[in-house]
Amino acid sequence: MSDRIDPRLMREGRRTRGALRASIGLGLVSGWLIIAQAVLLAQIVNRISFHHAQLSAVSPFLWGLAGLFVLRAGLTWAAEITAFRAAAEIKTGLRAELLARLFARGPVGAADEASADVAATMLEGIEALEPYFSRYMPQMALCVAVPLAILALVFPLDLYSGLILLVSGPLVPVFMVFVGYRAEAINQRQWEKLLLMSTHFLDMLQGLTTLKLFGRARDEIEIVARITDDYRRTTMAGLRVAFLTSAVLEFFASVAIALVAVLFGARLLHARIDFYPAFLVLLLAPEYFVPLRGLSVHYHARMTAIAAAKRIFALLDAPVAAPGEAPVPAGELAIACDGLGFAYAGGKVIDGLSALFPAGAITAIVGESGAGKTTLARLLLGFIRPQAGEIRVNGADLAQIAPEEWWKALAWVPQNPRLFAGSIADNLRLGAPGADEAALRAAAARAKALDFIEALPGGFNADVGEAGAKLSGGQIQRLALARAYLKNPRLLILDEATANLDMESEALVLGAIAEVARGRTVIVIAHRLAMAARADQVLVLQDGRVAQAGPPQTLAAQPGPYRELLRAYEGEEALPCAN
Amino acid sequence: MRELIRLHRLFKPHRGWMRGGLALACVTILANFWLMTLSGWFLAATAVTGLASYAVQNTFNFFTPAASVRFFATLRVASRYGERLATHEATFRLLADLRVWFYTVLEPLAPAALQGYRSADLLSRIVADIDTLNLFYLRVYVPLLAAAVTILAMVLFFAVFSWPAALVLAAGLLLTGLGVPSATGLAGRRAGAETVRLSAALRAEYVDAVQGMGELLTYGAAPALQARAAALQAELIAAQGQMARVTGLGAAAASLATNFTLLGVVIAGGAKVAALRLAAPDLALLALGCMAAFEAVAPLPASFQYLGQIASAARRIFALADTKPAVAPPAAPAPAPQGYALALENVSLRYTPESPWALRHFTLRVPQGRRVGITGATGAGKTTLINLLLRFHEFQEGEARFGGHDLRAYGSADLAHHITVISQRSYLFHTTIRDNLLLAKADADEAALWHALEVAQLAGFVRAQADGLDTLVGEAGIKLSGGQARRVALARAVLKDTPWLVLDEPTEGLDAATEREFLADLAPLLAGKTVLYITHRPAGLALMDEVHALRSGQIAA
Repeated sequence: MSDRIDPRLMREGRRTRGALRASIGLGLVSGWLIIAQAVLLAQIVNRISFHHAQLSAVSPFLWGLAGLFVLRAGLTWAAEITAFRAAAEIKTGLRAELLARLFARGPVGAADEASADVAATMLEGIEALEPYFSRYMPQMALCVAVPLAILALVFPLDLYSGLILLVSGPLVPVFMVFVGYRAEAINQRQWEKLLLMSTHFLDMLQGLTTLKLFGRARDEIEIVARITDDYRRTTMAGLRVAFLTSAVLEFFASVAIALVAVLFGARLLHARIDFYPAFLVLLLAPEYFVPLRGLSVHYHARMTAIAAAKRIFALLDAPVAAPGEAPVPAGELAIACDGLGFAYAGGKVIDGLSALFPAGAITAIVGESGAGKTTLARLLLGFIRPQAGEIRVNGADLAQIAPEEWWKALAWVPQNPRLFAGSIADNLRLGAPGADEAALRAAAARAKALDFIEALPGGFNADVGEAGAKLSGGQIQRLALARAYLKNPRLLILDEATANLDMESEALVLGAIAEVARGRTVIVIAHRLAMAARADQVLVLQDGRVAQAGPPQTLAAQPGPYRELLRAYEGEEALPCAN
Repeated sequence: MRELIRLHRLFKPHRGWMRGGLALACVTILANFWLMTLSGWFLAATAVTGLASYAVQNTFNFFTPAASVRFFATLRVASRYGERLATHEATFRLLADLRVWFYTVLEPLAPAALQGYRSADLLSRIVADIDTLNLFYLRVYVPLLAAAVTILAMVLFFAVFSWPAALVLAAGLLLTGLGVPSATGLAGRRAGAETVRLSAALRAEYVDAVQGMGELLTYGAAPALQARAAALQAELIAAQGQMARVTGLGAAAASLATNFTLLGVVIAGGAKVAALRLAAPDLALLALGCMAAFEAVAPLPASFQYLGQIASAARRIFALADTKPAVAPPAAPAPAPQGYALALENVSLRYTPESPWALRHFTLRVPQGRRVGITGATGAGKTTLINLLLRFHEFQEGEARFGGHDLRAYGSADLAHHITVISQRSYLFHTTIRDNLLLAKADADEAALWHALEVAQLAGFVRAQADGLDTLVGEAGIKLSGGQARRVALARAVLKDTPWLVLDEPTEGLDAATEREFLADLAPLLAGKTVLYITHRPAGLALMDEVHALRSGQIAA
């Protein structure tokens, strides 16, 4: 699996090839300088200890050593900066691309993704890629170049030590390949667990009030403890393998160094070798293993990055239909649906639906739950494409029209309007960022929202809480209506827009909709026949197609599905309206 | 600093693990130090002996140091493995405790005190901040204390050979381990806090993008969100870049300090050897020992960086933890209610001392078994009435009695035993239908669950699903229609079967036909129960014994 992820990550690395190469190059030079440094140090110790040199005699070496130290410090600094730059470009690019991809998939595609899961992938997931580029990849290069250079120096000095290092060194990567894959699988599970956990917490926090209403909020403490404990167990299982791997690697390294020291000791004791090569090799032996050991640390970073990358690439690779590019035809919008068909994974929802939405008229769509009203609205909004038939806007195929242009022409008030963090004014200006205070007030007044907005501390500048927790359902609904009015759309699609309004405001808003409908096409998914009764045309949906269509008065006068619905609404129609 | 002490106090139950990990960390560092010093001395000593006469060579004890070298090599590997296991085990145990502690302090705050927080932000807090706090042990506690202990041991060891070398080593270690990191820590503190803050802001944007996508697209607000996210990302990269520059400078400074210490030790030791006041092998010992000693301070720069992040996360977590709950929990255990009558006399409630009264001189009596309807427009105080009754918010004036006792004698959890709420905002958890039902009655058996679904007219739908009761409900219940979600709430009420039933706009958002069916299925449930039906719609009021209109926080005449 990971074999296919690595090349793809490398391709991502191309975004920033220069910085990546620079950081690898700096690391290599710094690694080679360590060898030069060891040579100088061994010379100094050897001359003082065995050739009775005074400090002044070795001062050129001392100065050389000091110079090397300064150079290495500079390289260390530069490597850190370039490595960060390389990773930063990749992170920024991927985050922007992922976000664009999410929007391209649209709300119906995105509904399959848990929002906390997506947020975790885009933040922690992408952050987890950084060590791959800033640590793992440079380390790969170091891992080959530095040990080879040390071997090249050690072999001429001492054959035995060279052989010990040569044999023990490759054991490290070989052993890692041997155990690495198992650790990778465990690591994958650990990452999924982390995602699951953050989804669970968001869910739990959002439902905290419901939990309290059932007196169950305290029981969740146990679940928090259990999930965290599961997390500990799986993570520790992964870590135990990783730690054992690095323990074995350290064991190779430690034993090799001890062996080198003991073998030298035996030969030095009988003066079969000089102190200088022995001491130099002892200085270099730990450095020989440093990059190899580092590899095991950064290999773990690679596994985390691979696990995150799988999720990232899955989001990036989700299919997206090619959007149209045509403009929206000018003039009042008339929409014709012809033989529409649409099925979700669960089954057909829209089945051979044909309908006309005349320009400048209010069309109400009524029907029981599951009749296909919401799906029809999604098709009209362009969130999904019909699988059969087509939607024509003033004669032009909706699939050919650029989605941004189409959305610019319409306004949509969904079933559960979402308020975004910020002030009331920010939320109203969502579709019209340039709207001035007067325009805000006018729109709010239209949607009968002005009174409650002004009663809020701060008025239009009042902050809306999470999902408008500070506001009632009716108030959120009216804000959404005001937001739609402010945009001055050519087409207005209201999905159960009046469902959350109390009787008084409902009547007021119904009047306001009729008023704002002038000069534009309105499609209302109606659940109150009060709205349907005011429409120019009513479409009754049944089993994904239009069962009945016509002016409400005509339909009410004849037997059929509309009359059935009217009977269900009885009592409600008899209620007095405020205007 | 105060936060860190408080944090440390939270970790009390796991001191055994914490100290065990610390002890092993010290052993690891010292084993490596002895390994290197001994190896250096051993080579030089054998070399000196090798140059001497055969007689001297024969008296040289070769085996003890050779065996010791191998012993320290093995000890180092073993204790390192043990240290990592122990410290990580401790870390994850602490994490579980921290999460439970945080949830425990959060729970009494809901829903009143939490409305100012966005749940995406809360999520960021509980997951990211708690994870950050948790690094305190692994990244700060262990490295700092282990460094302190081992530095003392190593410097004293050096002093046996050469005081100047020991002093140079002590100065170098302190500079590398304390001076450089605290300077970089100070320099990185702001960037660290910025990183945490910006990540939280970015997460909120991403959650908005997924949850509000339809509106963002149709209002053409997606590019604005993308631009905001890009700007936040640029700021985040700038903060992280600042961090990387500080890290890079710190690494360079530490490398300089380390290497110049080595140079100083070699000069100090070399001068003494050249003056023949120190044996020749001891120079190799000092040089290699000096190199190994710096292992103790290697993790400290990272520790000081974590300190900044941890302090910032701790401030946020503790600030939330210290929020006062909107209702103080009752001091004594709740009394058993005598009957289930509710009497509110002249009750007034407002959410903050500055805000207008949500309920004003409100009087309502609900005798046991009575069904009372309350109607009123949006903002008339209907939701406040529920907050009052369920003890989600404290009332300021008047008298409230439930079951013959002062309402203040009960906590929310006590009232939940007697009252079931069917609300417009009943939440469906992202789990199975079964788990969503078991919420109401944890010990309900299969038959009871199906009975509840039958009464709620949802059994047919659930039976039609491939997984039956184990069907997953999407995030916030996306895969169920509004009517079906409401029926889950109804089924929960059937399972819970309490003497009181509060219906809070139960048919909100349902179409008329669904509403009628829902109310028809609701009617048998009301038998024998005390009911408060709060609505702005006339449907269903016929089921009530009496109906009051609520206007501006008062019962209308």
